[in-house]
Amino acid sequence: MAIIDLRNVTYKYPLTQESALKNINFQVNEGEFVAVIGPNGAGKSTLCYTVAGFVPHFFKGELSGTVEVAGADSSKSNLHEWVLNVGLAFQNPFNQISGAKYTVFEEIAFGLENIGVPRDEMIPRVNDAMKLTGISELADRSPYSLSGGQQQRVALTSILVMHPKVLVLDEPTSQMDPIGTREVFGVIRTLAEQGMTVIMAEHKVEWIANFADRVVALHEGQIIEDGKPQEALTSDVLAGKGFGISRYTSVARKAKETGLWKKDKLPVTLEEAVEGFAHV
Amino acid sequence: MNTFSMYVARESGLHKLYPLTKASLTLLLLIAGLTLPVNWAGYFLVLFVIFPLAIWGKVFKNFMRIVWSISLPFIISVIIIQSLFWGKGTPIFEFWILAPKIEGVIFATISVGRIILVMAGFILFAMTTRPDALMISLKQVGVPSSLAYIIVTTLQIVPRFVTKASTILDAQRSRGLETDGNLFVRSRAVVPIILPLVLGSLMEVEERAIAIEARGFNSNREETSLIEIPDTRAQFILRRIFMVLMILSIIARVAWQLST
Amino acid sequence: MLENIKKEFSTRILVLIPIAIAINIAIGELVVRLKLPVYLDSIGTVLVGAIAGPWAGALTGALTNLIWGLFNPFAAPFFYVAAVIGFLAGLAGKRGAFENESPRWLSVLVGAVFVFSLTMFILAFSNASIDDTGFTSYPSMADLFSQYAIIFVVAILIGAAIGYFLLQRGGYAGFWGLITGIVAAIISAPTAAYVFGGVTGSGTDVLVAAFRASGAGILSSVMAQGAVSDPFDKMLSFMVVWLILRSLPARFKAR
Repeated sequence: MAIIDLRNVTYKYPLTQESALKNINFQVNEGEFVAVIGPNGAGKSTLCYTVAGFVPHFFKGELSGTVEVAGADSSKSNLHEWVLNVGLAFQNPFNQISGAKYTVFEEIAFGLENIGVPRDEMIPRVNDAMKLTGISELADRSPYSLSGGQQQRVALTSILVMHPKVLVLDEPTSQMDPIGTREVFGVIRTLAEQGMTVIMAEHKVEWIANFADRVVALHEGQIIEDGKPQEALTSDVLAGKGFGISRYTSVARKAKETGLWKKDKLPVTLEEAVEGFAHV
Repeated sequence: MNTFSMYVARESGLHKLYPLTKASLTLLLLIAGLTLPVNWAGYFLVLFVIFPLAIWGKVFKNFMRIVWSISLPFIISVIIIQSLFWGKGTPIFEFWILAPKIEGVIFATISVGRIILVMAGFILFAMTTRPDALMISLKQVGVPSSLAYIIVTTLQIVPRFVTKASTILDAQRSRGLETDGNLFVRSRAVVPIILPLVLGSLMEVEERAIAIEARGFNSNREETSLIEIPDTRAQFILRRIFMVLMILSIIARVAWQLST
Repeated sequence: MLENIKKEFSTRILVLIPIAIAINIAIGELVVRLKLPVYLDSIGTVLVGAIAGPWAGALTGALTNLIWGLFNPFAAPFFYVAAVIGFLAGLAGKRGAFENESPRWLSVLVGAVFVFSLTMFILAFSNASIDDTGFTSYPSMADLFSQYAIIFVVAILIGAAIGYFLLQRGGYAGFWGLITGIVAAIISAPTAAYVFGGVTGSGTDVLVAAFRASGAGILSSVMAQGAVSDPFDKMLSFMVVWLILRSLPARFKAR
């Protein structure tokens, strides 16, 4: 059953001429991990904000079509009810620190205080969430004293602790090193397997290929490709439109022209490339 | 980064008091010192109430240093202006164009008492009260949490901004912008600092608002608090007494004003 | 009424207020460091007033001084002045002073009126005389005009030039800044005179000393000092906000 259901969604920010999303039809099943790719300005963030309820409730503007998440209709809901079902974390970690708290532990508890979780339930929930994302040792640090990557983990944890049904992430690992990125993708994969639905806008195609269930490609506000990572990420539809394509795919595509790549499918990851070239 | 406050961590009875008790005591001291129809009330309160409290709070040395360094410029200014430039009065001595008047010196001394009282009151409160604890206690007595949010957030970002402004100033300097020299030169230095500082931070506003809304900031459920600060019945009564004293000292002032 | 007040405090504005306060304090401290004869510590307050409205502006002003008081106790007692400044900025915003471009002649007029009144004020004070009973009498306006005609003409020309080149098309903002500054000077004087003996420990004390020496009472000296510093300062702050709001992308202003 689709937990996210967008039908014929077209959206225009206030005071702009061009629609940021054009006739989007997008369904996601419970427990699916969907990666959204696209060049800058393709509408990735707008799609994230739409699922998370900020379009149109926060940004205003004109939205047509229907947006349903977890059975609720966006046009009939308030943002403060919507965020109980849908969690949102985005790229810039610095702006996600509430500023109202002095330690990481208190920072993560901020959301729980707002939605009225009792104190004796709050503490174990914060501890569990920190253990999950591997930041337990940061508990007593000031959120402002952390590195960008650590702050991104705190931002993610602050949303996870609220136990949303749907997790929307807009480039959540942009300031992390490869080790941190792997850990975070691993955590998100685990959560998806436990039934959480994840929408993630992301540039790092090799990680997507390894961890996501499905890839949606946006271009100029429209979905131009939607499928399994392997197929979507190597699709010819994406070529020449400014998508971040894996270097292995680019190499193999060139190799295919000269007959050097024999397989039908193009590779996304190093492993696939090695395997493909091994048969030459 | 340090949080923006003068708070000095100590294990003392004063530190352990409920923040609102300290806040209402400070307010009482200020109101009493400024309204009581006794010219020397300021000195009296500083000497016999604030100093002993600072000793009890184990911050006396730091406290004296800060009070002294902040008050001194005002004190010097008041004394010079009010004694030397007092219009009409009895000169103490006359030397060249200098003729300090007795009335001026008396007025300056009274003013200095008030200045020290205001400074010392605020400083002792700030030194012994954690800003977040103050906010939590305000929330506990029903101050809207959005107001508490504004205050605590401000305390955290002000040092960042003061640093940012200095950084921009230094950067402009290293690019050859003159920040010393005559008034015109210095005035011109301000504009290229203000605009980037303000515009840059306005761009942050939208994302920060989204981030806290995503964390239920506008939720209409009853809020809970991770940290709870203990209050006592005795302190509750004490605060009521302070309030009565404040009103009494204002009444005393009004009565005195009417009678003269 | 209460509903209107609540509407001013959207999440965006709640986030903006701390930033505005930080801007006030950071620039206020910077100006002290550069030893400029202005304050410029209400730019953030005026900004919030202009964007959100009078109540949000008033809160920003009051909190700026109270929080600043945590490390600069001199600021705290003037919190009510800062609140009024924010409130007036909010009213100005409601009247469109920060959106509309004024004709340049209005800016010229605002500038000329400002410098003219300032000159009159200073001359009136420096020509005041005290009789034996301590009663201060001021010269009549007619005497002043005939005595200092050239100075007045020069003042009007300087003011007009300030209006034309500095205010440019921000005449409405400049006008509101002027009004706000006058109000601020009047309402801050009692506190400055009573609590602080008329001094601030800053450069403007020289002015207070000058007025005291000319025989004015403490309260009127402080008020006179305020009348010189405040209108110019607030006019400048309103102008800066007008400039900032013009250079913001349209999306930000859409609330």
